[in-house]
Amino acid sequence: MKAPAFARNSIALSGAIIVGLYLAIVVVSFFWLPFDPVKMDSDHSLEAPSIASGHLCGTDEYGRDILSRIMKGTFVSLVISLSATAMGAVIGVTMGVWAGFLGGRWDHWLMRAADVLFSFPSLLLAIFVMAVLGEKTWNVVVAIGIVYIPQFARISRGAILVVKTNEFVRAARSNGAGSGFILFRHLLPNILVPIIVQVSLSLSVAILLESSLSFLGLGVQPPEPSWGNMLSAARNVMVIAPWTAVYPGLAIVFLVLGFNLLGDGLRDLLDPRLKNIR
Amino acid sequence: MTEDYVLKVEGLATHFSSAGGLVKAVDGVSFELRRGEILGIVGESGSGKSVTNLSILGLVQCPPGKIAGGRVLYRERDLLGAPEEELRALRGKDISMIFQDPLTSLNPVIKIGRQISEAIRLHHGLGRREAAAKAVEMLALIGIPDPERRAGDYPHQFSGGMRQRVMIAMALSCDPEILIADEPTTALDVTIQAQILDLIRNLSSRSKTAVILVTHDLGVVAGMCEEVCVMYAGRIVERASVDDLFYDPLHPYTRGLLASIPRAERAPEEGGNPDRLYSIPGSPPSLVDMPDACPFHPRCPRAMDICRRAQPPETSVAGLTPRTVRCWLHSGEGVDAG
Repeated sequence: MKAPAFARNSIALSGAIIVGLYLAIVVVSFFWLPFDPVKMDSDHSLEAPSIASGHLCGTDEYGRDILSRIMKGTFVSLVISLSATAMGAVIGVTMGVWAGFLGGRWDHWLMRAADVLFSFPSLLLAIFVMAVLGEKTWNVVVAIGIVYIPQFARISRGAILVVKTNEFVRAARSNGAGSGFILFRHLLPNILVPIIVQVSLSLSVAILLESSLSFLGLGVQPPEPSWGNMLSAARNVMVIAPWTAVYPGLAIVFLVLGFNLLGDGLRDLLDPRLKNIR
Repeated sequence: MTEDYVLKVEGLATHFSSAGGLVKAVDGVSFELRRGEILGIVGESGSGKSVTNLSILGLVQCPPGKIAGGRVLYRERDLLGAPEEELRALRGKDISMIFQDPLTSLNPVIKIGRQISEAIRLHHGLGRREAAAKAVEMLALIGIPDPERRAGDYPHQFSGGMRQRVMIAMALSCDPEILIADEPTTALDVTIQAQILDLIRNLSSRSKTAVILVTHDLGVVAGMCEEVCVMYAGRIVERASVDDLFYDPLHPYTRGLLASIPRAERAPEEGGNPDRLYSIPGSPPSLVDMPDACPFHPRCPRAMDICRRAQPPETSVAGLTPRTVRCWLHSGEGVDAG
C-alpha cells in the first residue's frame, strides 16, 4: 500500500531519485574517484572539461579534478546537512513540545530564549557560533543545528498548542490515557506533518548554509574539498574558467531541489486528510 | 436503598478563578445514580452541567479550576481526593464519557479500529490482535456496516453520526458501569439524534450501564430518562422523576423551561400571550461573585422579598419518587405558596 502510493506521487518520487543519486555518489566516492581530489598537478591547471583528458568537469587552478572534488564533497555536505537538521529537530521539537504541552512558565522562558536566537539572521548566527567554536568541520554541524533549534521549537510548539485543545485529547483522557501516552500517541503524530516539511526545508537550507560557511572560509577547510570552498576558490578564476564554479554550483542546486521535492511530496503523502483529494 | 447507587455526588463545588473574580461554576450539586438508570441533567449553557461531569472524572484543569468541596462516591471511594493514577485506571473502564462534538473527538491521524482498540488495551492486558478483533466487534455492535473494512478507515471518512457511534463504541468498549454522555446529540441532525439516543438506551439496558445524559433538550429528557436534574447557575434547582417534572413542575425556572417548548395545543403560561412562544425574561446571571440570594430571582415571575436576601435551601417535596426543589415558594418557610 505504502510503496505504490509513493511511486504514484511524482513529486516525492523525483525528489527521492535525486537524493538517491547523491547517496549513490557518496557510496561510489568511498571506493573509487576519477582522480585524487587533493593531488595538485600544475601541468593541467584550469583545463576545460573534456572526455579525452578524463577531466569530465575540468580542473581547478591547482590542476585538481573538479568532478573528483565534487564527489568527495558530497559526503561532507550530506553528513553536515543531515546531522545538523537532526540536532536541530531533536532538540527543537523536544523544547517546543515541552513548552506547548506544559505551558506556563516553561513555555514562557523557552520561547523567549528561542526569540533571542531568532532575532539573529541565520547566517550571522552560524558565523558567530563558528567564531566561538573554531573552524572545524563538526562545528559546522553545531552551528547550523543551533540556528535550527528555535525554528523547530516554534513550529512544534504552535502545532502542539493547536492540537492539544482538540476534544480528542480530552476524550483520550476520559478513556484513562496518561500524559505520556497522549503526548506520544495522540499529539506527536498530529504535528508530524509540519515537522517533516520543516525537516525537508532545513535539509536543503543546511546545504546552503554549509556552503556559505565554507565559502567564507569558516566551514570545511581546504584542501579538504567541499562545494562551498570550491566556489570560493573559483571566484578568482570564474571569468576565464567558468567550469570551476558552474559544476559545484549545479551540485548544490540539484541537491537542494531534490530535498525540496521530497519534502513537498512527503507532506502530500503523509497527511491522511489530503489523501482522497488527489 | 443506598447499596443500589453506583455513584453518589454530595455537595460538589467546582470554582474557577478568573480575572473578574471567583466563578462558582458548580456550587453544591448533589445527586445519586442508580445501576442501569438514565439520569438527565438539563440546563442552559453555562449552568455547570459539563463542569459537574468533568469534576466527577477529575478532568477539570487545576488551575484555574479548583474543587472547592463535596464528595463523589464511587464504590465507597471518594473520587475527588483520589490520586491521578487511580482515576486514570477508572476512566474509560468504570466510568467513561462521550463528548458533544464527534467531529473533533476522534484523532484525525489514527485509524478508527486503532482508536477503539487503544481504549481497550489501556485497561485490559489484551494483545494487539485481540484488541483489534474486539474493536471490530464493537463497531458491529453499534451498527457500522462492514465493520472489518471500516476499522481501517480514518475518522474523516466517517459521517458525523457514525463518528458519534464510534465514540460510543470507544466509551462502551470496556463495559463501564457509568456512561457520562455530555450533550451527545447536540451536533447532530434530528434523525441521527434519534438513532444515537436509541443506541445509548439499548446499550444501557442491555449491559445495565448507568447513564448521565447531559442535554439542553427537554424532549430528549422526556424520551430517555427516569430522573431529571434541572441545573441553573451551578446548582440543581429541581430534581424529580420525569413524570413529576413534566406534569407538575415546581420551580419557576422549570416551569419557564417547559413553557418555552413550542406545543400544538397550549395554555397561556405565566401570564404570557397564548399566541406567542413564552421565553424566560432576562439572561442567566454572571457567576462571578454571586450574592447571597436565589440566583433566579431577577428573572423569576414570582420573586418574593426573601429571594433577594438568601439562597433557598434544598427542600424535599412529595412526589411519585423522592424529589427536591430549591425555591422559597416550596421551602415551608416561604410565605404563601399560591
